[in-house]
Amino acid sequence: MLKKLILLIAISLGLGFLTRNIGLSLHQATAVSIFSVSVLGTLFFWSFRLTFAFLGTSALLLTRTIDLDHLIKFSSLEVILFLVGMMVLVGLLKDSGFFAWIVSLILRIKNLNANKFFVLICIISALLSCAVDEVTAIIFIVAAVFEICDYFEVNPTPFLIAAVLATNVGSSGTTLGNPIGILIASKSGLTFEDFMVKAFPVMLACLFASIILLKFWYRRQLAELDHKMKQLGANEILIRLISVPPEKELKTALAIFGATLLSISLHHRLEVLWGLEPNTVLLTLPLISSGLVMAWKWKKARGYIEKDVEWWTLLFFMLLFAQAGTLKYTGATDVLARNLAGLAGNSVPILTAIVLWVSTIGSSVLDNVVLVAAFIPMIQSFQGLGLNLQPLWWALLFGGCLGGNITLVGSTANIVAIGILEKERNIHVTFFRWFWVGLTVGLITTVIVWVALSFLPFYR
Amino acid sequence: MKTKEVMTRDVAYLSPDASAKDAVELLQEKEISGLPVINGNGKLVGMFTEKDVLVYILPSYIEKVGRFVYEENPKAIKRKFAQLEGVKVSQLMRREVVTVGEDVTLCEVAKMMLTQKVRRIPVVDKAGKVVGIVSRCDILKGLIREGRGA
Repeated sequence: MLKKLILLIAISLGLGFLTRNIGLSLHQATAVSIFSVSVLGTLFFWSFRLTFAFLGTSALLLTRTIDLDHLIKFSSLEVILFLVGMMVLVGLLKDSGFFAWIVSLILRIKNLNANKFFVLICIISALLSCAVDEVTAIIFIVAAVFEICDYFEVNPTPFLIAAVLATNVGSSGTTLGNPIGILIASKSGLTFEDFMVKAFPVMLACLFASIILLKFWYRRQLAELDHKMKQLGANEILIRLISVPPEKELKTALAIFGATLLSISLHHRLEVLWGLEPNTVLLTLPLISSGLVMAWKWKKARGYIEKDVEWWTLLFFMLLFAQAGTLKYTGATDVLARNLAGLAGNSVPILTAIVLWVSTIGSSVLDNVVLVAAFIPMIQSFQGLGLNLQPLWWALLFGGCLGGNITLVGSTANIVAIGILEKERNIHVTFFRWFWVGLTVGLITTVIVWVALSFLPFYR
Repeated sequence: MKTKEVMTRDVAYLSPDASAKDAVELLQEKEISGLPVINGNGKLVGMFTEKDVLVYILPSYIEKVGRFVYEENPKAIKRKFAQLEGVKVSQLMRREVVTVGEDVTLCEVAKMMLTQKVRRIPVVDKAGKVVGIVSRCDILKGLIREGRGA
């Protein structure tokens, strides 16, 4: 622990001195140094990340690297409120039995065979991850995988890994799949429709490629499941294993969530119609819906806010965004962006490749929100150089989501699913068991995105 | 009235290396829902309760999946229950145990039971050895006795 702390301080101070030597002012170098403490803090001391964020932010204020007004401005309250609203909605869906209903639908698939199960699990994982968030989606997919694998007496690990990989791929499809989606939308001005038109089809292509690859990778396990399914017959006990009462509440919750999704998909048109600033409706819709939910379920409203909203994570995000904003405020990212653009010969395709691959590799070891928060001020600084930013934003989104597949610790969904597997089945997935399949899926899907961003004029 | 006046002195206990299946059977035999776990040196190392067994056999994600009703018993639950024979008490027991001294007042023990959400509390001496156990029922009996005496 002490060694890690010394390493963290040495790297952060080293970065501060290095950036001072390449032309950054004292305040700019301080901002880089303190931000790197928070980033490395998440890598070395995950459980203490909020401690690093609190101390780092205080240091920025005390050293006058940023003032209070700008710190609050950069903390991206709009993104935090959006996430709060979505978490309350997810709490309602959970409370009304929506997720259990999805599990029961999976268990009730008629004429189940291994191939059908595998493909459906991957598709449902990806699509649900688009609609709620990847961590919520994976929990009930894991539940369905466990019940089916238990029933047919096969090891759930390959199916679980496939579902998690599909979840991470799916999380890049909309602004709702991952906190980095809404963060990028908020900072870039990209709309939900932009995501549906430009990110969703690429996500589907990545998902298709992943399913083909995973079916080949796990062909023996699929054959074993198929054999067991034929041996044990139809999934009759599974079909009636769970039920979800009461129906009326579930329907109302579904209606609220559906209306929210529909309104989010139309947010840009509504903003134009009402003359509102870009993304105002997008960011306020979850608040409106969760406000209505709390009026409907007023007895449980406090529970939704206290139990379903992950304040620990959101506080960390707020302070992290503020620290990343300090890089922009001090002009540190302008200098770094100028240097990077110079190295890339001001070529957008080269910068796109750099952003895509660095964010893919970076998010395989770092939390993708940390990585994206660090990249955003850099990309904003490219605007000052007159560069087209669109492909860079998409590169950042896909890199941040797809890189999470490469290692066991690449995304929260991986950690949650593997944690449940260990606890429930006492199965330990080694680093390399995950790494080879994760790396292959991660590389192939990133190449697909790279080709799309480089060759389709649509993205330029 | 003090804890030592109401506690049960003849305490049944479990060894950390005992099998969870034997422990469940002992709970059934004694018709109680939990027992202290004491190591070879006579030190209290945990509490083993029926709740710990249920937490083990039911999926850890049930709460996160949300509201539903089991219409059948899943295979996994039956399998996990059957596996209890190979599971040690130390693997399931709660290690953070609330304890009280013999001279603590009944109201303080009652307060601890409510705030710490426990049904029974082991009573330990200054060396940390278990000298008794006090349950909700003992507290109420003590309070009734005290009321009659007053």
